[in-house]
Amino acid sequence: MTHLELSHIRKAFGPAVVVEDFNLAVTQGEFISFLGPSGCGKTTTLRMIAGFELPTAGTITIDSTDLTNTPPNKRNVGMVFQSYALFPNMTVAHNVGYGLKITSKSKTEMMQRVHEMLALIQMEEFAQRYPFQLSGGQQQRVALARALAIRPKLLLLDEPLSALDAKIRLELRHEIRRIQRQLGLTTIYVTHDQEEALSLSDRIVVMSKGKIEQVGTPTEIYNAPATEFVARFVGHINLLPVTVLNPANGVVSLGRQTLRAGRFGQLNGRPVQLAVRPEEINLGAKPDANTLNGEVESVTYLGSIVRIGLRIEHHPLSLDVFNEHTLKLPRISETLAIHFPVDACWLMEKSD
Amino acid sequence: MKAQPINWWAIFWIVLAALYFFLPMYGTLDFSLRMERNTISLKAYEIVFADPRFWQGFRYSTLMALITIIVSIILFVPTVYWMYLKVPQARPIMEIITILPFVIPTIVYVFGLIRTFSRPPFQLTLHALTTDMLIVAGYVVISMPFMFRAIDVGMRALDVRTLTEAAQSLGSNWFQVLVYVIVPNLRVAILSGALISFATVMGELILASFLVRPALAPYMALLGLTKAYEPAALAIISYALTWVSLGLLQLVSRGGTTRQLTGR
Amino acid sequence: MGRFSSIRVLLCFAVPPRCKGTNVAMSTSPPPRYRNNAWREHPLWNWVGLVPFFLFIFLFLIIPSLNLFTGAFVTNKGLFTLENLSVFRNPLVLKAYMTSLQVSLLTAVIGGLFGFFVAAAVALGHPPRWMRSLIMTFSGLAANFGGVPLAFAFIATLGRTGFVTALLKEVCFAGPDGTQICPFNPYDHGFSLYSLTGLVLAYTYFQFPLMVLTITPALEGMRKEWREAAANLGASTWQYWRDIALPVLTPSILGASILLFGNAFGAYATAQALTGGSIPLVTIFVGQQIRGDVLGNPHEGYAMAIGMVVVMAITIVAYSMLQRQASRWMKV
Ligand SMILES: Nc1ncnc2c1ncn2[C@@H]1O[C@H](COP(=O)(O)OP(=O)(O)OP(=O)(O)O)[C@@H](O)[C@H]1O
Ligand SMILES: [Mg+2]
Repeated sequence: MTHLELSHIRKAFGPAVVVEDFNLAVTQGEFISFLGPSGCGKTTTLRMIAGFELPTAGTITIDSTDLTNTPPNKRNVGMVFQSYALFPNMTVAHNVGYGLKITSKSKTEMMQRVHEMLALIQMEEFAQRYPFQLSGGQQQRVALARALAIRPKLLLLDEPLSALDAKIRLELRHEIRRIQRQLGLTTIYVTHDQEEALSLSDRIVVMSKGKIEQVGTPTEIYNAPATEFVARFVGHINLLPVTVLNPANGVVSLGRQTLRAGRFGQLNGRPVQLAVRPEEINLGAKPDANTLNGEVESVTYLGSIVRIGLRIEHHPLSLDVFNEHTLKLPRISETLAIHFPVDACWLMEKSD
Repeated sequence: MKAQPINWWAIFWIVLAALYFFLPMYGTLDFSLRMERNTISLKAYEIVFADPRFWQGFRYSTLMALITIIVSIILFVPTVYWMYLKVPQARPIMEIITILPFVIPTIVYVFGLIRTFSRPPFQLTLHALTTDMLIVAGYVVISMPFMFRAIDVGMRALDVRTLTEAAQSLGSNWFQVLVYVIVPNLRVAILSGALISFATVMGELILASFLVRPALAPYMALLGLTKAYEPAALAIISYALTWVSLGLLQLVSRGGTTRQLTGR
Repeated sequence: MGRFSSIRVLLCFAVPPRCKGTNVAMSTSPPPRYRNNAWREHPLWNWVGLVPFFLFIFLFLIIPSLNLFTGAFVTNKGLFTLENLSVFRNPLVLKAYMTSLQVSLLTAVIGGLFGFFVAAAVALGHPPRWMRSLIMTFSGLAANFGGVPLAFAFIATLGRTGFVTALLKEVCFAGPDGTQICPFNPYDHGFSLYSLTGLVLAYTYFQFPLMVLTITPALEGMRKEWREAAANLGASTWQYWRDIALPVLTPSILGASILLFGNAFGAYATAQALTGGSIPLVTIFVGQQIRGDVLGNPHEGYAMAIGMVVVMAITIVAYSMLQRQASRWMKV
């Protein structure tokens, strides 16, 4: 059941086209993330849904009602801003109750709802504080409660955690997800933090330069990126330029070494590259697996893992190994054999 | 950059404000050029510039303004510097004192000044020279809120303590630190304070008029009682003077440290 | 150029939120000490550097003020008395106070409202860039333009032979009874530049730019997200202004108002030059008292002058009480 539908949305600021042919159908209760580099149009799209910007073309419907030209104060869509945007002149309780006051709900109903919301974000004892007396994380919780208090049909969050420190960020993102599940609220979450998107979302929309690159579940996005952009943007990936030897079974060559790709599409003669994630690669040689030899260029200690940089036939390749106490780290300039399963790599067209 | 639709209400208020600014200015300019019947002429300006009392007033006011500025700098720079370095807890009382000239209307202040210094034991109004000293003291007090703030703001932007310690570690004494380190770093702040003081003194009527000294503003006031076109010319000259002071101020404060002194 | 020169620097006092955090610029570590002379360690020694300043202030500000104050409470023979306060029963003096208060309040309100709308237009109305810089530059100029030249400018514009008066004489207006009034001479219809109306018009010339200068930064400090968050919660533009924008601006508006009030209350030169003293403002009255003893008792003159300081003091106390109320939500 489609709840929110964006079709053929386009937004131009003067000559600059910022969002182009954006199509998305969101079902009730879904948690969608918009992921993409800075300036790719995530915020702009979100603001069009909230009604702060008018699409140059295209329509936005919620529950089959066309809302494209509805002013923001008539949309009943909750929004949480990156900078919290709490009203500084109101206490926490008044901030949370403001939307209800506007819709002239009775005082008791308002108070009750405010309490309910403050309980939800576990901040009952802060009701009479002013925003300046709260920490960033607390302010963002209040902003969330304020957006939820009006029982919105849709919740929009624009990088709500990016102004907070790492620990609070982690804590709060699970809380957002918990509350969202509890309320069954359709949610769109803008972020440029891939880890956040991967860990929270039902589906992720990866954007680049105003266009959708791929829509899919976190697994699809990570394991089967549709484009080189997605592959490079989400997670770390090795892309080796290879020559196709046999289009039927995916056998390719890298210099003098031969490899086989587990997945490959129609190979139509355009330059291709072999994609493999660093964590799929292991040290040592192994029959039945793709095995390569290369020279160690760098060894970077990252705590739980160690990232080893190799040069194979003049191409860089990195692999991650777990930092087990038995691990013997290779030395720089040492020649090393590595292997990865055929299923773990695939062929991808080179984008221009 | 932003493709905003034009807000006609905003334009309405801005145009209204612009009319309020320009109509009197235009009216004055127009009037000042019409001394001779049916023709535009600079006659009124010629008369003003030919009047030795104008030049006397101009010279006197300029001189007083310059002395006021020098005294203010000598008095306030070391004081503020010392306050930052040694007695930060003096700030609240300094702030109250320096705002007093704004709370006490100038005319009331002058009344008090005259009552105090026109009789023994501190009689200063007997001679022109001592009266001028009194006037300078008055001007220093009247322009103190601006001067003090300007220096204060400038000093805040400096890390006075570190600068001082650095200079002292290189062997400077207090006086050298002040003259060779602090003052050069403060020149924008001092200059903007000086320009405001200059504008204040050049236009100041009350002190000079009640102490009967030949300053510019009393001359203007006097002229206004008897003439029609010359005062208009004088008003335009004043506009120009204010313009120049504020223009210089904008130029000087482009550095940013004293931005709050200007209209931007 | 008047006594108003760049009152903008005073904003820190009048509009405390502007200066948030300015008082904490100093670190609290003790000053470096290079010689170990015990007498130099005494905390009072630190104040020595401020002695010249305090001496100057004492001589040229405190003593004159105190002198006026004591003058208001002694007889001609120098004995303490409250008799001089009877000056406030003098109808002329009372009238002067009422007129001054009236002019100050009126120009503060008119200039304040006008200035607020202009500032809002500049800060929020997305005018073309050049309009914005024009208004800001001219505000800087006009707020500093008072006194004698301002009076001349208004006489040349709206005086009997002024340029706008002449223009008005060439247009026709429909009179209240439907008849055409040609030519329309405002001076035939109760207007006079040399009256209270004229004074208010002239004061507005420096009052509203002062408001623009003071309030524009506050308006620019209004975050776009507040408006959007309000709209998002269902508020109309009007509700946003009532519930968020105006409460947030109130401290700044209060600060600006007191600046405007004080600015008008203490003004002397403009009124003197415009009306030649025919409008009885307290400042004019004090001026006449300085020139000659118009009250017949110099000590009553001091009492009258001190009354002005009292009015300013009451205003400032009232202001700080209101300010405290209005800025509860603000970090101090
Ligand atoms: N009001 C506007 N006028 C003109 N250009 C705009 C406007 N708002 C956004 N843009 C442009 O649109 C593009 C997309 O902006 P947007 O804010 O949507 O990016 P974003 O994906 O949210 O980036 P970030 O991660 O940095 O927040 C940017 O190039 C930006 O400069
Ligand atoms: Mg964004």
